[in-house]
Amino acid sequence: MRDFEYIPATTLQEACSLISQYQDEGKVLAGGQSLITLLRQKLIAPSCLIDIKGVAELDYLRYDDKKGLAMGPLTTHRTIERSPIIQKNYPVLSDMEKSVASVQTRNWGTIGGNLCSADPIGDAAPTLLALGAQVKMKSVRGERMLPLGDFFTDYFTTVLEPDEILAEVQLPAPAAQTGVVYMKFSTIEAGIKIVSASVLITLDASKKTCKDARIVMSAVAPIPFIAKKAGEHLIGKGVTDQLIAEAAELAAAETSPIADVHASAEYRREIAKVISRRATKEAFERAKAA
Amino acid sequence: MSEYSVVGKPLPRVDGLKKLSGQAKFTVDIVLPDMLYAKILRSPHPHARILSIDTSQAEALLGVAAVITGKDTQGIRYGFVDTPSFPAEERPMAEEKVRFIGESVVAVAAVDPDTAEDALDLIEVEYDPLPAVFDPEESMKDGAPQIHGEITRTTSCAWEDWGVARKSHSYTPINNVAGKVEFSYGDLNKGFAEADYIREDRFKSPATAHMAMEPHTIVASYDPLSGKLDVWLNHMAYEIKRYWLAKTLNMPNEKIRVHQTYVGGAFGGKAVIFDFEVIAAFLSRKLGRPVKLELTREEVFSTCRNSIRFDTTLKTGVKKDGTIIAQHAKVIVDAGAYKGSAAVAMYLSHAFNDSCFDRHNVLHEGVAAYTNKNFGFAKRGHGSPQMRFAFDSQIDMICEHLGLDPVEFMLKNCRKKGEVLPNGDRLDSYGLPKCIQGVADAIGWKEKRGKQKDKNRGMGIGVNGMFSGSGYWPFACSAIVRLNHNGTVTLMEGDVEFGQGPDTAYSQIVAETLGLPLEDVTLVAGDSELCPLNYSNFLSGGLFVGGGACYYAALDLRNKLLKAGSEFFKTAPEDLDMKNRAVFIKAKPQKSVPFGDLLRINIQKHLGDAMIGVGYKKAVPEIEFYPSLSKGTGRFTDAYSYAAAAAEVEVDRETGRVKVLKLAMADDCGNRINPAAVEGQMASQAVMGMGDALLEEVIDEHGRVINPTLVDYEIPRAFDVPEIILVDGCDWEPKGPYGGKEAGEVARAAVIPAIANAIHDAVGVRVFRVPITPERLLTALKNQGK
Amino acid sequence: MEITKKVLKVTVNGRPYELLVKPKTTLLQLLRNELGLTGAKQSCMDNSCGACTVIIDNMAVKACSVLAMQVNGKQITTVEGLAKDGVLTPLQDAFLRHSAFQCGFCTPGKLMSATAMLQETPNPTEEEIRRDMEGNLCRCTGYKQYIEAIMEVAQKKEVSK
Repeated sequence: MRDFEYIPATTLQEACSLISQYQDEGKVLAGGQSLITLLRQKLIAPSCLIDIKGVAELDYLRYDDKKGLAMGPLTTHRTIERSPIIQKNYPVLSDMEKSVASVQTRNWGTIGGNLCSADPIGDAAPTLLALGAQVKMKSVRGERMLPLGDFFTDYFTTVLEPDEILAEVQLPAPAAQTGVVYMKFSTIEAGIKIVSASVLITLDASKKTCKDARIVMSAVAPIPFIAKKAGEHLIGKGVTDQLIAEAAELAAAETSPIADVHASAEYRREIAKVISRRATKEAFERAKAA
Repeated sequence: MSEYSVVGKPLPRVDGLKKLSGQAKFTVDIVLPDMLYAKILRSPHPHARILSIDTSQAEALLGVAAVITGKDTQGIRYGFVDTPSFPAEERPMAEEKVRFIGESVVAVAAVDPDTAEDALDLIEVEYDPLPAVFDPEESMKDGAPQIHGEITRTTSCAWEDWGVARKSHSYTPINNVAGKVEFSYGDLNKGFAEADYIREDRFKSPATAHMAMEPHTIVASYDPLSGKLDVWLNHMAYEIKRYWLAKTLNMPNEKIRVHQTYVGGAFGGKAVIFDFEVIAAFLSRKLGRPVKLELTREEVFSTCRNSIRFDTTLKTGVKKDGTIIAQHAKVIVDAGAYKGSAAVAMYLSHAFNDSCFDRHNVLHEGVAAYTNKNFGFAKRGHGSPQMRFAFDSQIDMICEHLGLDPVEFMLKNCRKKGEVLPNGDRLDSYGLPKCIQGVADAIGWKEKRGKQKDKNRGMGIGVNGMFSGSGYWPFACSAIVRLNHNGTVTLMEGDVEFGQGPDTAYSQIVAETLGLPLEDVTLVAGDSELCPLNYSNFLSGGLFVGGGACYYAALDLRNKLLKAGSEFFKTAPEDLDMKNRAVFIKAKPQKSVPFGDLLRINIQKHLGDAMIGVGYKKAVPEIEFYPSLSKGTGRFTDAYSYAAAAAEVEVDRETGRVKVLKLAMADDCGNRINPAAVEGQMASQAVMGMGDALLEEVIDEHGRVINPTLVDYEIPRAFDVPEIILVDGCDWEPKGPYGGKEAGEVARAAVIPAIANAIHDAVGVRVFRVPITPERLLTALKNQGK
Repeated sequence: MEITKKVLKVTVNGRPYELLVKPKTTLLQLLRNELGLTGAKQSCMDNSCGACTVIIDNMAVKACSVLAMQVNGKQITTVEGLAKDGVLTPLQDAFLRHSAFQCGFCTPGKLMSATAMLQETPNPTEEEIRRDMEGNLCRCTGYKQYIEAIMEVAQKKEVSK
């Protein structure tokens, strides 16, 4: 690693002021589970790290039946995994977190850091996207809110300005008759993700017709994205296996996967079809049972 | 065996306290005063002439102590195979050209690793890229770029040093051929003529990584005052490292001391001498200071030896009753830039195969070709995993065609206990039939094989045979057992503990022989200065040869104690026995004399004789040194171990992903000196074999390894593991210590075809190369229109 | 650049330390190089193997991916701090009796992960143990005997409650 200055912040205001000072020369450090590896591989060489891990005001989980969830960016993966609030109201998040990296990473790594690393194979981003997440960004210049879908722009790239900090992740209160699933595929059970599908289905009161459908694909494009045509195909229609299969075809067609050592682009597209179909079916079942 | 009190018991490992408390020292943990850290600059080209190297800026960097290149180590040669006909060709750093991406070109020693790395960035190397070749069949064609010119000697060859009287000469590869083997027995044409069914199939096995948890590391410390070199390194036998360090540094062997450290896993990948080891020793001698060189995980994946790449064509003839009557095996090895152990692997793929079944008429041919890639060495099975994938898959196909059951087919073609193999090795123990039947019963073969296709589930079987030691310097092991004042003993033997358990097994053997509990044996191991000669474990000769030497040493001391006891009790030694640090009269056990007393008395009566037990064992008693690698004749080992594996899998037809539900493993290691240790070896090989079958491959593109990290080269984790059922297939080996022989290397090869065959049973699709990744299987499923 | 070292106050295995460290020092480097606690190991260099696992304030964390400065004011436990006064913990003892290790390189990391897990999860199933131990790679054992060792300790804890 190259040398750098290290400044621990104790408040959000202090952190914003420091990053505004350093801009591109500085990097915000939370859990460091992505950042430290980048530093060791010399892929980045900031002159200063601003450590926000000790900013207590950024570590919280607040839930309200009407407003939904407000999650501080320093909430660790492990906290999300084990939180009774999450397990009750957003169980898909707890399930997803169980499959993130390892316990050690989840104990120290944060949801904010994970989203900001914008890893195309990240697990949290597509799941939060399916749940309709919004993110709040803060700087000395003020704050702004964005749907999570607009937060990512490219591989490992977000819209965060050099002086901005991800300040909060918000989720709407869960709707009735809704099922949410996160399903990922890897070569071996505990292996690296090849493709994933995160699906939210909301049924109408009769539980036969789909009122809302969000099919989020990840690891098959530079950023996680909502397969719009696939989701639209389901809305206002009665549930059948045939319909789900058609939606899955549409979802796969919207992907632009790359080839790498783990899989070819064609295989990823094929699996995208299979996984989105299975996840959508499962989401329907969960919505019916809800 | 219930009559033993120590052998045969799953006693806690003697290295346990150290390893569980973090006190165990590995090479990576060694820190010496005034130590420097070295890093290596490596070739970015697969094949290129080196035009110039400018190290001036690196040398001027504050904290850099020395920078060396191939000019400094010009002419130094080493290699695993260094024979009169095939001289050693590896070198510490490239000289006039580089032959693979990652070959060492420049080395830097500096005050800390970061400074050494910074220095690498300041070195300028000018290359003239040459045409490169990456496929062995392409490289053997006329007109392909020639990777080696005349390979000459600068020193005497290893075989000459070891007393094999034959004049050595240079070797000029033609058409990039690094080595050839050809052996035959019987009459192949006659055999095929008698066959009712003949089939020919081709199989490919890629390079896979050992992925031992400790990265390859060395600490070399040369003292200019004494001219002595102390080393701590990752190894599997200190003699081979000392021999080659002495040779490459042109210094006396006895001035090189390998210190004891634990080694964080080996699996074959740490036995040979490496370029970075010679570099570290060279730098240390140049600077008169300790030098530590720790490879990164990426360097280990892409520049250390991986397993040997095999392209195997088998043509096998059988009678309709299932008797194998002929086999013609053709192996093409993609050797890489240097020959490594390619020829040995080609030989072993025949020898291990020959130990399993009787094929009656055999021709085995192999050719290894140079390519511009990293080169290989042994990985747990050394040629047998590749051959078993081919042959046991083919057996499955033959059985399908003839309507036979593979388990019955294998049992039918098994050899007979006591049989003498065509090369002269005698099978005094042969547990293969017991292993085959054992795994078949354990997995539910009769009930379920061929009957779960509706669930996309299937079963398959594989086998293997393995040697228990063979010929390599210094061809034997010795051991010393010293009697201590209080009646305990100290065992001094040279084996290195890299997880395989010799520290505990040998202590158990000695304890049993002397009627002592395990805790009464103190161990001094793995230090070349404190321990007698030993060639250790890399030829799977640990228990059988090293443990055998320990047994004979303990027996020697036992006889001395019985003699002293007989003088004390004035009775014949046969009337006596020993237990709990005392010799007693069998008929009157209350009449006993402590070892400690016998020691004093013996010193008094026999001019100071403190009763030291000495033992030794040659790996293969009846041969001079080597069998003929190229002709396949000559005795090879004194005992074969055996294994069988049966797998039950479930296939996801839509994704091609395979879930291994169960793996039944049976092992014939003669007798389990420590059953817990043997079970650990079996579980380890079950998981490693599963990784080979489904996951693992060192992938290269135009000579560059594109997956040199743990993120990209996946190995099984705790949640990936199937249910593992372990079966005891032991057949007592009379020539082994307490009946024991090899255990840690035989079973991996059996698992690979077991899984491949199970996949076929499940979904009717055969993949002819491993790993059978989900993508490969899905493609095969689609191609078969299923 | 000339970087000032920073003061770090940390308790390791119950012992308080006050050290001067360069900001880029990882916790693993601190433990191994400054404090001579070589139990935690480096194997993968990309945050994937778990051989460097230690416990920070009751949580299992990979020391290679944590800056030393981030543990200012915290309690660290390493494998060297498990046994007290020459007595192994029940988990270490179970590892010994089950022959739950071979080369021993990954063992300290496994012990720390398992110790933290057993403190956190009162009655883990085998599946939960395997999932929680996923972050600790092993090449020698086939993930069999040490899982059995952890299960034995987990079940004994439940029985003794």
